[in-house]
Amino acid sequence: MRVSKLRTILMAGAVALLGGAGARPALAQALQVAVDASPAGLDPHIITAFASFQIVNGTIYESLTSVDKDLRVVPGLAESWAVSPDGKTYTFKLRSGVTFHNGAPMQAADVVASLERVRSKDIASPLASRLAAVDAITAADDATVTLTLKEPSAPLLAGLSSIAVVPRGFLADKDGLQRQPVGTGPFKFKEWQPNGFIDLTRHEGYWTKGEPKVESVRFNIVPESATRQVGVASGQYAILPNIDAATALQLKGRPNVQLAQTLELAYSLIGFNTSKPPFDNAKVRQAVSFALNRKEIIDAALFGSGVPGGPISPALTAWAVNVDRFPCYKTDPAKAKALIAEAGVPAPIKATMLVLPRQDIKDMAQVVQQQLKSVGIDLELKIPELGQFIQDWRNSNFDVFASTNAGAVDPDDYLYRTFRSGGSTNVFKYANPEVDKLLDEGRVSTQPEARKAAYDRVQTILACDGPAAFLAYGQLFSAVRNGVKEFEIMPNRSLGSLARTTAAGR
Amino acid sequence: MPLKLLRVRLMDLVIVLFGVSVITFLLIRLVPGDAVAIMLGANTEVTPDRIAELRARIGLDQPMPVQYVHWISGVLRGDLGNSLWTGRPVAAEIGQHIWPTLQLATLSLVLGAGLAVPLGVLMARLRGGVWDSAMQMGSVVGLTIPSFWLGIMMILTLSAFAPELQMLGYVPFFEDPLGNLSRLVLPAVALALPILASLARVVRSAMLDALQQDYVRTARAKGVPERLILFKHALRNALIPFVTNVGILTGYLLGGAIVVEQVFAVPGLGRLLLGAIAERNYPLLQATILVVTFVFVLVNFVVDLLYAFIDPRVGS
Repeated sequence: MRVSKLRTILMAGAVALLGGAGARPALAQALQVAVDASPAGLDPHIITAFASFQIVNGTIYESLTSVDKDLRVVPGLAESWAVSPDGKTYTFKLRSGVTFHNGAPMQAADVVASLERVRSKDIASPLASRLAAVDAITAADDATVTLTLKEPSAPLLAGLSSIAVVPRGFLADKDGLQRQPVGTGPFKFKEWQPNGFIDLTRHEGYWTKGEPKVESVRFNIVPESATRQVGVASGQYAILPNIDAATALQLKGRPNVQLAQTLELAYSLIGFNTSKPPFDNAKVRQAVSFALNRKEIIDAALFGSGVPGGPISPALTAWAVNVDRFPCYKTDPAKAKALIAEAGVPAPIKATMLVLPRQDIKDMAQVVQQQLKSVGIDLELKIPELGQFIQDWRNSNFDVFASTNAGAVDPDDYLYRTFRSGGSTNVFKYANPEVDKLLDEGRVSTQPEARKAAYDRVQTILACDGPAAFLAYGQLFSAVRNGVKEFEIMPNRSLGSLARTTAAGR
Repeated sequence: MPLKLLRVRLMDLVIVLFGVSVITFLLIRLVPGDAVAIMLGANTEVTPDRIAELRARIGLDQPMPVQYVHWISGVLRGDLGNSLWTGRPVAAEIGQHIWPTLQLATLSLVLGAGLAVPLGVLMARLRGGVWDSAMQMGSVVGLTIPSFWLGIMMILTLSAFAPELQMLGYVPFFEDPLGNLSRLVLPAVALALPILASLARVVRSAMLDALQQDYVRTARAKGVPERLILFKHALRNALIPFVTNVGILTGYLLGGAIVVEQVFAVPGLGRLLLGAIAERNYPLLQATILVVTFVFVLVNFVVDLLYAFIDPRVGS
């Protein structure tokens, strides 16, 4: 009896071993990706967090236009488009042979429904501002969509790249796509085990023939940074996408692990409340900029992996003004003190700085605190929990804050809502008529040179006189196992290149 | 005996669960930033009207006592409510996350408590010797090492020596028994070590105490073999403090699981709880804590029953 039981156990073990060995080749086809945070939801029109965005953007969902790795707008689900001479009518020709994951063909009606959904007050999509200029959306036929604008809109095409096309029928449905996303992308949603993983499988009817190259992608949710590092070093995970400098530094030089990097669109900043003293005074804000040593901040908080920048990411080479042209970027404590004296505010200046509870921002805040102390600005750091931070930030309940801002492919998108008076994320309560006028110009002008001139001027004003001291643009890293090919890191953190990625072995 | 004990214990259970339900209900609401604020994140397109509507949908516009009564009456009817974020029933979310944690906790308890008894007896036997001192030292180290640190160190070490070992994440036992065990063994060891250390010390001192007793001297005088004295006479009497401590350590186990699950990426109750706190997912958080409390009280109830089993004098 006892012997037979033992034998059964041994056999079960052997079967399990064999089963494990047999399953290997199939596993090789599943691309194991490790991400740090569980997404709150996957509805592309509702999500705001990177944790959600990186799982759906370009993988499950696609948009009319797309952005390549040099941040240029290229065709997406629209294979071409035409703009009327007055810049107020856009006609999109849809790609043929595109199907949704539910098998239905993608047609103009779906595109119209998706854009209407984003505009709907009921859905309250954070992307709605990207369609602010749109007056009407119509389907001329099954393969043609026409957007009529109230006024010309230069950033429209870039803005469309972030608006996913979903099947019609979700117009009034706020919850359906959060757990069961349906798109046209190379991968379709399969399973979500909360806190465990999200599985995507190959979309057989994908319109680019031969893609995706792998059978499936598994996003493992691994909150602990050390665990992710070990996982990629040992080969359990093939890709750690969008990791920070601290994690990347620890993986540098590990055998079989490569690091890919790019300059981020997102940046760190110190924001001022311009509705109350002392930071309502532009001289005090300038003094802060003169007091800062951005190189020191980058060395201390980003391990040297970053560059100083102005309001627009240096990654956007066509738009960004070189920081050498901003006078206040030259560290000059004497000048800072002189400006504070000139401003006539009582010294020393005492203020509270609200700090985003994220490691690199907390580190930066401490360096900034030290640097400003030397010119007579005493900052008390307040590092609340995330929910509290968002609430205080949203309600402009701060003297100064340290945080990060996502940036965007077209300068209009976030410059307008962040720095235009009355802009939806203008928590600084900043109002500068000249900036307003320039931002309005940049928005409606369709002349690239005129836009460039307007945004150059905006950047110069904002850099020194504006409501924020722009600190740094960090390097964004991805760790990739040897044998994983064609994975590309994107400045906007999209993982769309997973469609072309191949993995040899483990 | 057991009937009266059962009644007293049941009353205890009700009182504890009621207290815990009130405390968790209040605490999570005292934390600044409510569920709606966090749900909306940095979305500034949302109008105040819409925020008010969302708050009303969750019931946050009601006075707190009303919210509590509403929730607790649902719980009493067996309805734990729905998760604020996913809309799924809380019971289903907990059901999905409870198995990894239960398996992990049981495995570490069996490992820790199972090894503690022979180790404690051995330490008592070798009292005063070099080995006893060494083991005492070892137990202090075991008690003070934080599980998360130990976990990370074990991952780092093993990944250097056995990179092929699948040790992160979780697969259900019935899907892949070997994969399940290979992923749970490290977290179980990390959790079990402090239990082993603390219980071995308990067994050692209880054994030393028991060995001083008259009945042991009598047994020795009768010529009972040392092995029998140790394991039959002394150990049985030393088991009472041991069992009490097992009950108390269950609390540690459930708390430690939160940290260890985080390190080993195990999708258990601990991760569910942390996520619920971060999201201000009130119904989910409240129910999860109730369930954990229930398990803790239940284990201690079983411990009380075990007293009567180990020591016939109890409850007679």
